[in-house]
Amino acid sequence: MQITADPSKAQRIDMILREIDSLPTLPAIAMRLLTLTASDDSSANEVTELISSDPVMTGKILSMCKRASLGVRADAVTIDKAVVLLGFEAVRMAVLSIKVFDVFDKPAPEPTDPDATAATNNTFDRVNFWRHSLAVGVAAELIATAHPDARDLPRSEAFVCGLMHDMGKLALDFILPKAFARVVELTELNNGNIAELERRVIGIDHHTAGKRLAEQWQLPRQILDTMWMHSSSYETLPRLEHRRLVGLIGLADLIVRRQHIGYSGNFTFERDPEQLAEVMGLNPKVIETLGPKLYDELQRREGILDLDGQPSRELYLESIQRANQTLWRLNSAREKRTRLATVQSEVLDGITAFFTAATPGRTVQDAMDSVVASARAVLGKGYTALIYEPPQHGEAARASWLICEYDHEGAATRSELIAPPLHAPSLTTLDQAAPDPAAIMPWVVDALTSNGDAREIQMLPLNCAWGVAAVMVHDLPRLPPTKQLDAITSCWGAAIASASQHEDARRLGEELAQTNRALAEAQDRLLHSESMARLGEMAAGAAHEMNNPLAVISGRSQMLAMSIDPGSKNGQAAKTIVEQCKRLTDLITSLRMFAEPPEPERRSCDIGTVLDDAVRRTRSDSPKPTGAQIAISVKVQSGLPTVSLDPDQIGLAIRELLLNAVQSSPRSSITITGRIDTDDQLLVIQVSDDGGGMNGYTLAHAMDPFFSAKPAGRQAGMGLSRAKQLVESHGGQLGLRSAPNVGTVATMSIPLDSQE
Amino acid sequence: MADNDTQGEMRGKQVFTTGDAADICKLSQQTIIRCFDSGRLRGFRVPGSRFRRIPREELARFMRENNIPTDRLEGGQRRVLVVDDDAQIVELFTDLLDGDERFEVRSACTGYDAGVITEQFKPDLMILDYMLPDINGNVVCKTVRANPAFTNMKIIIVSGVINQSEIQTLLDAGADEFVKKPFDVKSLMGQIESLLEV
Repeated sequence: MQITADPSKAQRIDMILREIDSLPTLPAIAMRLLTLTASDDSSANEVTELISSDPVMTGKILSMCKRASLGVRADAVTIDKAVVLLGFEAVRMAVLSIKVFDVFDKPAPEPTDPDATAATNNTFDRVNFWRHSLAVGVAAELIATAHPDARDLPRSEAFVCGLMHDMGKLALDFILPKAFARVVELTELNNGNIAELERRVIGIDHHTAGKRLAEQWQLPRQILDTMWMHSSSYETLPRLEHRRLVGLIGLADLIVRRQHIGYSGNFTFERDPEQLAEVMGLNPKVIETLGPKLYDELQRREGILDLDGQPSRELYLESIQRANQTLWRLNSAREKRTRLATVQSEVLDGITAFFTAATPGRTVQDAMDSVVASARAVLGKGYTALIYEPPQHGEAARASWLICEYDHEGAATRSELIAPPLHAPSLTTLDQAAPDPAAIMPWVVDALTSNGDAREIQMLPLNCAWGVAAVMVHDLPRLPPTKQLDAITSCWGAAIASASQHEDARRLGEELAQTNRALAEAQDRLLHSESMARLGEMAAGAAHEMNNPLAVISGRSQMLAMSIDPGSKNGQAAKTIVEQCKRLTDLITSLRMFAEPPEPERRSCDIGTVLDDAVRRTRSDSPKPTGAQIAISVKVQSGLPTVSLDPDQIGLAIRELLLNAVQSSPRSSITITGRIDTDDQLLVIQVSDDGGGMNGYTLAHAMDPFFSAKPAGRQAGMGLSRAKQLVESHGGQLGLRSAPNVGTVATMSIPLDSQE
Repeated sequence: MADNDTQGEMRGKQVFTTGDAADICKLSQQTIIRCFDSGRLRGFRVPGSRFRRIPREELARFMRENNIPTDRLEGGQRRVLVVDDDAQIVELFTDLLDGDERFEVRSACTGYDAGVITEQFKPDLMILDYMLPDINGNVVCKTVRANPAFTNMKIIIVSGVINQSEIQTLLDAGADEFVKKPFDVKSLMGQIESLLEV
């Protein structure tokens, strides 16, 4: 049977199944033997009859008898005696093996010698296959015998099922000898599970093939299920009537494989047989004591069968040797795995510790610190640095690197946001899978400050889902294999990325809060300016209404004063009325100025002149002697250019500030300075005094109209608010700094370029 | 007293004879006639006769041109019209100026009244409130100035306005002075005197 074409897998599986279906049926005698049990004489008789009807079979059985029983003369033996002598199972086994091999033997040189072809032509060792099958059958039988109470485990069925369980392999080997040889080869090479390789190489495994074969041969259901499911984990077996029987074969298979008897092609040991036995409700003690019995019984059966003509002792020794070889292979493989497992568990511990220490909402810096701590725990001690490129905001923003360096003790020595070296590639654009250290290394090393001598610096990209979250530069000694390293660096990368995201979200939140605050402040200001506007409207309206009566009072009192002797009491009174009218008039004027601020009329002015003029007028306006006595020193930066402003308005504002300073009763003097802030293009005029100063409340309200810290009625309280307004109409700002009993510094800054 | 009578007589007259003019100007009648005939003093002859007649405005112009004091034409008093809707303000100005024999004072309390009275009264000076109930002072100012008969009339606008640019628009409308309310009586009088050259 050759399959030359290379059909697709599905087609091939289909073909294999059809091949199985076209196999010759099992001879009637074998079928009958499979269904018969030795439980009663009639069956024994039937077996005898069946064997007798086949001369070849008769000869075979009789020769078996000769080998098995010492001192029995061959001619004295009849088939029925032989059956009694050999035992029913042995006879059944013999017949089955002959008959089954009849089916699978391709050009069988000697139908009666089934082993010859198997051993010579094929990698698949048929002798050892039969030995394995026989061993499983025997083991299953022994276990079943040890549990006489288990009605679902009849010993003869256990034997047959065990014997037949791997028949699917024979079928596969028969149909696709080359492919199956490859499977066998690969299995031994990899210490793998043959079923898995069968599926990979051939397309179906011997379980499926076995099931199909059993169907084709119309074998009893329990044999079919055994062939199909003996490798399945006991717990996953369906709730069959003969579930435990199938499980028993699996158990027997496991025991036999562990004893390395024969060839099964399966080098994996899923579980402990004693534990499995317990799960199945069998006595684990039986398993424990099975070994010697198994060998004895196996030896006896093999002797009877003359399986390969080898002396049994040698066979046993060979088994041991093979077992040792396999054991060595297994051990070396296990050692490799153990080493890997140690690393894995270290990495896992590292990851666990890393995540246990993680706190929600940490900053990128926190995340980086903990990454370094984790790196030290997993990779050993050494120098470490992390480079992280924070996300950029806005189009104009330049990329920056956050560089954190840690010394050998793990202490952070530097955490700095730097502009990446010129032409350095963006970290985020590094190829995630294989960042080329050469592409970025020079810049990184450049950016590090503590670059010692020829240190073994390595670069480790910390990846997250969308790229490189950060780059670790280190000389840590213990790098685990790539797969494990990837696992933990991904954790670190993800942690930094998530911290970055979190920071971003928090920044957005803060920005939002800030905007809200600014909005609230703007609203406050709007409210303030709105109330100012209303106040202004009201003041303007009221002032007009006041003007006429005031003009009348003022005019009348002046006329009165003119008509009376100015020295008389009434003359004095009239004069007082006139003066008070003047005050009221001034108040109304400032109110209206405030309500309808005039536009500044700018022209080129010399600052020194404006300041001097203001000082002069302040002196002359101030009630003597206070104003005249206080020293006012004017300091103007030399070489100031002329500045475009409304000298009347700014002069008035300065006078208001000076007046305020004078009224604070300065201990020594008042200083007024004028300079130009070239950085911000501002004209800065400062009036400072060392007078009484203001407390927080006064300072906060100093520029409110009508606010006055002085006893009510003394001052109109319009001065600073007017000064502020005048400065603001020049696009500038008026600021106040003050401390009680220290003094006040009033600073007006007017932008030079505002030409409105 | 006779002088006073003459003055009283002259005050109401709109057309003068050469004799009247000579009397007012304190010149000889011949001089007046010569000036009339040469055209330096403009007037007209009574239709159907040779009598020369001189309108008041022409005489006033002639006197000013030749620097002849006009008190005798004006009857020694300058006419002042006070325009304000506030009775107290009007009364204040009236008391202030009426007590002074140099001034004859009338008043109006709306822009419309101001126009009507100006036509009849022909004031030398109008003290005009900016905020009037019907029309604003600057409109009154412009309207009056548009009439050539009143080009020599002086106007002082009185207002509570403090905005410099607003003040400027008032002056541009034809006012001679701006006085802010409340005002200083003495300086206001000074301004009136200098405007009226008294």
